[in-house]
Amino acid sequence: MDDLQRELLEDLDDDSDSSDGNSSKGSKKSKLPLVNPMCAETPKETGFHQSTRVCLEQIREALLHHRWQEAAEYMACYPQMLEDPTNGTGQPYKELIWRISTEILHHHPNSKMEDYNNIYERMKHSGVRHYLMICLEHSFHLLLIGHIEDAKHQLSVAESWRHGKESAAQYQRIKLIHAYRSLLDYIIWCDKKFTRSNTEYPDSGDNQDMHNYFRQASVNLKEILKNPGVWDPFILSYVEMLEFYEDHEEALKVLNDYAYDSTFPPNPNAHVYLYQYLKRHDTSERKLMKVLKILHVLVPSHELMLEYSSLLLQSEKRSDIQKALGVVMEMLDFACWRSNLDVWERLKSIIQKLQLQEDWKDVVSGQMAARKDWWPALHFTSFHASKDSEENPELMKVKAPLTKILCPDLMLKYTASQVTSGE
Amino acid sequence: MLFSEGATGGALAFVPYSQSGSSSQRGCLLYPGNRGLDCLNFHRVELQHHKGSSSCVDVSSSDPFSFQLKGPIRQISSASLLNDCCVAVRSDHLCGVWRFSERNEPRLLQVVNTREVATCINVSPHVLGEVLVASESGAANLWTVGRGMQKIREEDSNLYFNAKSSWRWCEFSAHPRVMLYADRTGVELTDIRLSPVSNHTLFRISNTPECRSGERLILSRYLGDGHPFQHLITTQFSAYIMDERFPCVPMLKWDHMMQSPPMFCHAVRGSTSGSAVSGAKTTKVLLGSHNSQEITLLQYSGGRAEACSTHGPPQALLRPRDSLKHLPVQIPHRLDIATSRLSSPVAGLTCIQKRGGREAGGEECICILQLTEAGDIFYQILEPEQPEQPDTCRPPAADDDLLPQPTLKEATTLGREPAKPLQPHSEMVVSDTSSDEGVIGPTQGPTVQRFVAETPEREQRVLNSYSSSEDSDSGGKGQNLKQLGLQVIVNDDPELDQVCGLEVGVKDGKVGKGTADNTEEPSSLGHVGPSEWQTPVKLSDGALITWKRWLQKLMHKSRDNKPRPRCLQHFTVKTGGLLHLSEDERDEAQRYSTKAKPVQSLRRDLRACMSKRSLLVHSAVSASLGAPDVVMLPDLVDTEVWRDQISQRLTLSWQGEEAWRAWWEDQLGLNREEKVEALKRKRRREKEAKRATGRRLELSGSFTSSVSYQSELADFSDSTGWSSAASQGAWSDTESKVSQLEGSLECGTPRASTPSTMQTDTPAYTPTATPQSVKDKQGDQQTPSSSHTLALSQTPDSTLANQRSNKRPAEDYLSSLFAPQDEPSQLRSSQSVPQRSLRMDLSQDTAVWSGFSQSQSLSQSSQGRMGLSQASQPKKKKSRMGF
Repeated sequence: MDDLQRELLEDLDDDSDSSDGNSSKGSKKSKLPLVNPMCAETPKETGFHQSTRVCLEQIREALLHHRWQEAAEYMACYPQMLEDPTNGTGQPYKELIWRISTEILHHHPNSKMEDYNNIYERMKHSGVRHYLMICLEHSFHLLLIGHIEDAKHQLSVAESWRHGKESAAQYQRIKLIHAYRSLLDYIIWCDKKFTRSNTEYPDSGDNQDMHNYFRQASVNLKEILKNPGVWDPFILSYVEMLEFYEDHEEALKVLNDYAYDSTFPPNPNAHVYLYQYLKRHDTSERKLMKVLKILHVLVPSHELMLEYSSLLLQSEKRSDIQKALGVVMEMLDFACWRSNLDVWERLKSIIQKLQLQEDWKDVVSGQMAARKDWWPALHFTSFHASKDSEENPELMKVKAPLTKILCPDLMLKYTASQVTSGE
Repeated sequence: MLFSEGATGGALAFVPYSQSGSSSQRGCLLYPGNRGLDCLNFHRVELQHHKGSSSCVDVSSSDPFSFQLKGPIRQISSASLLNDCCVAVRSDHLCGVWRFSERNEPRLLQVVNTREVATCINVSPHVLGEVLVASESGAANLWTVGRGMQKIREEDSNLYFNAKSSWRWCEFSAHPRVMLYADRTGVELTDIRLSPVSNHTLFRISNTPECRSGERLILSRYLGDGHPFQHLITTQFSAYIMDERFPCVPMLKWDHMMQSPPMFCHAVRGSTSGSAVSGAKTTKVLLGSHNSQEITLLQYSGGRAEACSTHGPPQALLRPRDSLKHLPVQIPHRLDIATSRLSSPVAGLTCIQKRGGREAGGEECICILQLTEAGDIFYQILEPEQPEQPDTCRPPAADDDLLPQPTLKEATTLGREPAKPLQPHSEMVVSDTSSDEGVIGPTQGPTVQRFVAETPEREQRVLNSYSSSEDSDSGGKGQNLKQLGLQVIVNDDPELDQVCGLEVGVKDGKVGKGTADNTEEPSSLGHVGPSEWQTPVKLSDGALITWKRWLQKLMHKSRDNKPRPRCLQHFTVKTGGLLHLSEDERDEAQRYSTKAKPVQSLRRDLRACMSKRSLLVHSAVSASLGAPDVVMLPDLVDTEVWRDQISQRLTLSWQGEEAWRAWWEDQLGLNREEKVEALKRKRRREKEAKRATGRRLELSGSFTSSVSYQSELADFSDSTGWSSAASQGAWSDTESKVSQLEGSLECGTPRASTPSTMQTDTPAYTPTATPQSVKDKQGDQQTPSSSHTLALSQTPDSTLANQRSNKRPAEDYLSSLFAPQDEPSQLRSSQSVPQRSLRMDLSQDTAVWSGFSQSQSLSQSSQGRMGLSQASQPKKKKSRMGF
């Protein structure tokens, strides 16, 4: 139905296009679906519908202009909409009321916790569809104001909630609720750990208690982290707990799965976590380089590339030095490293080491071949020279000799003007 | 939902120069000028912003540097690298690149012609002189200025699914050789270093969480500076922050809540200055839409060490059309023009950011500029609040009229960052309009008087105060008091390529004293009464004057645009002079100076008439008005004037259905046989009579009768009309009364338009009647009524109309009877103009406006009459049928 209408409109649109194609504007119109059909005027609307629609528009205006008090007053009237037998019972309206109400409460100066609880509880029980989402949001709010126990309670309630058949969306949300509840377990576990480390003689009861939280969290997290997704904070907390109980095998497995499981979205952070874990546990450089190599493919501009290049530089293989050159030069392609002294110095040291080899000129020119037509403009213009000499003379000193090496056959203004003028 | 996608990206750009002082930010504003937006202007502007005083964008320091282009400018993209700036301009088929710097004048480097319509142009932020151009053919080219084009990618279909859209977009990314290639379905990163370019997905419509049906990509923008890996992507529903290092997973998603899709965007990098409170600097993203003029401000922080997080809900900023609400009520006619001008679609959005930094007066603010398709530029200024100095934002010109502003204090904080409530408070501020010199166009014609040159502008301020719960110590903490100044720069002279609307900012001299209270309250007041939002904002006198000038000029322009016959120009010249006078008066005094006596007395009369519930008739008005050239309406209606057939028919219908039907039969020729019979009988009788009188008359009698056969028939059919002449006259009388009422100021102008309509009828009549009789009739009809100018201006038109109507086949008759015809409209316009201008001299002091409204009503009335004469035209042909 919707599509049909859209097609119809598109046809109309085409017609109008052809008719005014030669008009002065001549600009092409494009048609897209309406943003907010809920606000749209319907041909057959009763007075009640009209007033609720107008009310909604007013709420929208007030919200967008951050006039919370005004919005709150309109909002006090709007839930009448729910009493409308024709469409007020529709879920979209409930969601609308839930979202607008909480948004107003978030910003209204006089909002109280009771108001929040009131809204959340009412909206939870107005229909099954949003129950889990509202529970989740409710607990987020409790978390924000520091009521961790309450938040966990909310999530536990939601966990035990069952209603009818589980839809796919519901299944997703239940997983989220499990995950967040485990995260709260972790937070409580952290608190316990902190208090335990502060007391001189921890009693075993506390220890047991803490271990219980760990068990609760780990059971859930282990399951949940098998689902593809971006679970960065959850992974980190799980690994921290595993490390604490010295379950290194499991921790490494979790991190490896997270980094290398192809069903997961490519996540550079996963490799970074793995690298950091490995480094913490003094793994061999080969393994570290393996991780960084993959990270380099994903994010050549990552700051760990400096470490990667130094690792490559330390290795004795000839090809590794060339690789290091490539890594550093690729870093310099990116805007964020362009005037970074460390990277330029690394480049300098790499080239110095490379110059011990006979064919170093070929290697450099091989790297520069693809960059020949834009590197000069990117790094070595007279503008760069004057800027570097003003802001970073150190960098200037490093950069200037490199220009001749990198672009031997070009007359660059970088060296010429400012070495004299700048220093 | 329609939007013109050609404008995506926006044709407004600002290139900052190095900051000169703490109180201003200089730079170059690039915008299209002229009515057709086909003139590229480089205009040096200065954002002046002083602590505790007004802020304005000063454009008066120099004239714009303009280039005339061949087509309307769709997009302007600029990038500056170390004081050197490169500007790429896209129109439909031409793309050009200019280069300039603070010291060097802009010069054109190269222009290319694209075979297909270009949809995107973007300047490289990395290498000066590299430009990406995408066109509807699906090709994206890397254009190295001076060296030529390199095709980097070509797609003949959409990326991920068929969205039936040939719109393409491309952007640079963090790596100078990795480009973004986008269409309505998604974004891909294209690495052009490898010879078959390698692509991978950055964003895909259907893969985003909670993607809605029909969601399409509208705009993609590389945020660059400050966030070197982030891209902003907007759809109709949401705005996403994507990180190219982590493709396919949005870092952030907002529902931007805009009603039409956001096609323009400007990201302002948060400045680090000061604020320890806000800690992470927030980046402000401004989204602008096309038709609805919305601007939405989104704020977020993070993206490097911390995760991205939004700051507060989306906030709608002022739109140009919103300002009408705060201005005095206008009569509908003026309101319509002003509304349509103010609500023309947006063509570009940009932002001037002034960094604070230094302590004294170095205040940071951002100034948001909006360009509309009419060529106007509006701006508003937002500044962070400094709660301990509540008086900082007092606009100078509005000392007395400010209302205390209410404030909401935030009780709870959401997350780490204090939520920021704010109160819009609108107010007009006048900045003195400057510079007559050089603004007026000499070729604009005799109508334009000097006052037009005064730059109209209008400023509207909205003070939004933020107060935060987290403010611990003093000094410019990150809480924001926003000050929005909305200002119009009118593109007043589209025919010439001058941009007017130069403005001279309000100087800070005014500022110091008084009224700290207006913003003091927000910081102390904790709560707002509900109705306070609705309180109308009072405007200062100066603001009103400025607004009036702007409006006046707009009116003037819009009237100039109307077609007007040559011969009437002397009227308008006179009008201009009068208006000029009245303008001076207004300058020195109030808005409606009621000094002029005629108008005053007229108003008195009008009031008296209204209280008596009587009509404001000619006699009442003329007594008081005493206009020298008032001519009384003829007392008697010359019934013969009303020959047009519609009048006849209407008159006849009063006599009952039979008479009416008889008339129709007559007209349609249904009773022709009878008439011929009757004529024959009559002739027979005449012959017999002549025979009886004698031989001498016989010859001539038979001669004339044979010639005048037709004319007699015409007479015959006419006679039915004449029988009802009395009621016809009555009708016309009421009509002229009506027209009198409508143009209440005009009394007794000699040419009630009825004669002129008759005039048009008369020539149409000619073919049927004998030449002599026509001449007589014409003479008769013209002399009593119409003025000479009118007659002159109308004759060519009406004869034209005749020729056309003569050619029209008779079968058209019925359709043409009901269908509107276009010939009379020429007459109408020529008619209504002199009336208007005449009325002008009567209403000197109410100036253009009154003249306007009246002319409208009058032209409406004349339109009605024309309708009548239209309908009567075909009938004349009819009477000829069969002969």
